[in-house]
Amino acid sequence: MNQAEVSKLVSKLRIQVPPRHRNLQNPKGPEGRLDKLRKTVTGLIKYERIELNANRADEARQYAERLISEAIRHGDCHKPTMETADFWLLEKQLVHKLFKVLVPRYENSNLSYTKMYKAPKPQYARVLDKAVLELRGNPYPNLTNKLTNNKYLIQNVLLDAAKHDYRQSKYADMAKEIGKDSKSSQDQNNKDEQVTEKRSDS
Amino acid sequence: MRGQITNLSKIISKNSCTKVHPLTRFLSTQEAVDRRYHLFTLEKKRQYDNVGRIEKIEVQYKGLPNNCTFVMNKDISTPYDCARHLSEWHTETSALALLDGTVYWDMHRPLTENCTLELQNFNVPEPQQVNKAFWRTCSFMLGACASVAFKDTVPIKLHSFPGPDIRSGSFIYDIDLPTLPNWQPSNKELITLAAEYVKLTRENKPLERLEVGEELALEMFVDNEHKTKQIPSIARNNGKVTLYRVGKHVDISKGPMISTTGQIGRIAIASVHKLNESKNSDVKNLYRFQGVALPTGVIINHFAFSILTDRAKKLNVSRSPAKAVDNEEADSVAARA
Repeated sequence: MNQAEVSKLVSKLRIQVPPRHRNLQNPKGPEGRLDKLRKTVTGLIKYERIELNANRADEARQYAERLISEAIRHGDCHKPTMETADFWLLEKQLVHKLFKVLVPRYENSNLSYTKMYKAPKPQYARVLDKAVLELRGNPYPNLTNKLTNNKYLIQNVLLDAAKHDYRQSKYADMAKEIGKDSKSSQDQNNKDEQVTEKRSDS
Repeated sequence: MRGQITNLSKIISKNSCTKVHPLTRFLSTQEAVDRRYHLFTLEKKRQYDNVGRIEKIEVQYKGLPNNCTFVMNKDISTPYDCARHLSEWHTETSALALLDGTVYWDMHRPLTENCTLELQNFNVPEPQQVNKAFWRTCSFMLGACASVAFKDTVPIKLHSFPGPDIRSGSFIYDIDLPTLPNWQPSNKELITLAAEYVKLTRENKPLERLEVGEELALEMFVDNEHKTKQIPSIARNNGKVTLYRVGKHVDISKGPMISTTGQIGRIAIASVHKLNESKNSDVKNLYRFQGVALPTGVIINHFAFSILTDRAKKLNVSRSPAKAVDNEEADSVAARA
């Protein structure tokens, strides 16, 4: 028997998955941890953008990615997938959203389905790292300003003009130096010629 | 003084052909500023009253959050009012309005007819016109800043500023300081100027636009001989002079300008150069104030900004009114601003 390829058994996620899960301390133990994560995954699917502690976000993100990728692989007629969705989504109307909204949204994408940003926190406070977790293609405005590469933005125009100015001054300096060098080298050549002439004379 | 001004504006509003006699008595800078401010207010009120019966226009808004139609008041409502219907974010970030996809319109200029409206902030894909308006506003504010920064004993005569050229690296205002023949500002003085500038911008005042007739414009700038010389050439086309006011400061500019001064963020007054006057020009102590600024919300590394300020310290070689051979050319510089 050929050995089955692992990548076909478990869908490969497009995010980095650490080798070991986080324990996420909870008085109820592993069960409590799962409860927490189910709430987070449900919230993520429902609101599409949530802000929470970074380690919980990262943990929940892996489960959400896996859930969506399973849904895309197997569709809504696959019993195990449906059971998984039923387990992870506490609000059952979100199962419909998963298969009817999110699957069509991500079917043809080759990026991860979620995105995580570091969120700001008070500078001198002893608090956990915060993060913003969102589904790609959500209806909210962008969190990052992606347009800073636009060359027509005023800061880019100013910096570009400054660069141009600097280069022009450098070229001017180089041009001066070239003139000097050729002059001095010409002088050298003249001297050499004189020397050779003298030698030939002698 | 107020009564006198009211009287004057009445005369002008009657559009009488009689020449208004210029005020012969000496006006201090502060008095002149107040007078201009009052005249501007009265003229604005008069134009507002002239609107008469309010008519409605339909403004089709395109953009975030969704396209919609506003029914606004003709000659009264401004793009800023439309933005206020949308959200606070729109009012704060929009710098310029784009009507019918072609005409750039001030945020505080009343709309005159049915049109489509797009609001432009500094991050739109093609912000060239917004940048120009920003640069122009910076020059304008530099004039306002200089006219309040000096002591009362130093008379200030604003001359003009050339049209915005961002690639030159600095915005400019050419100012005549008749009592300071050889002023070379120290670093501290430049910082003080910049602080004054920041104070003005933090007041977050709107830039109001008003078109006035030539006569009134001459009356407003009666204390400033440079402006009075420029006004006839500016008004040559349609007999109107476009004025802008921010706070108490009123100045001539072609526009358009950005919405409020709060949209000017980081700023540095880099240098003040004395312009070498030619022999036949009558302005002897003309100084070129130069600065560099960025819109609010633009985050730039301090090193990168120091490169910009260092560059702005060099004399900006754009057309100087003192060097112009005859006065007409000097006027045309002002007309383009």
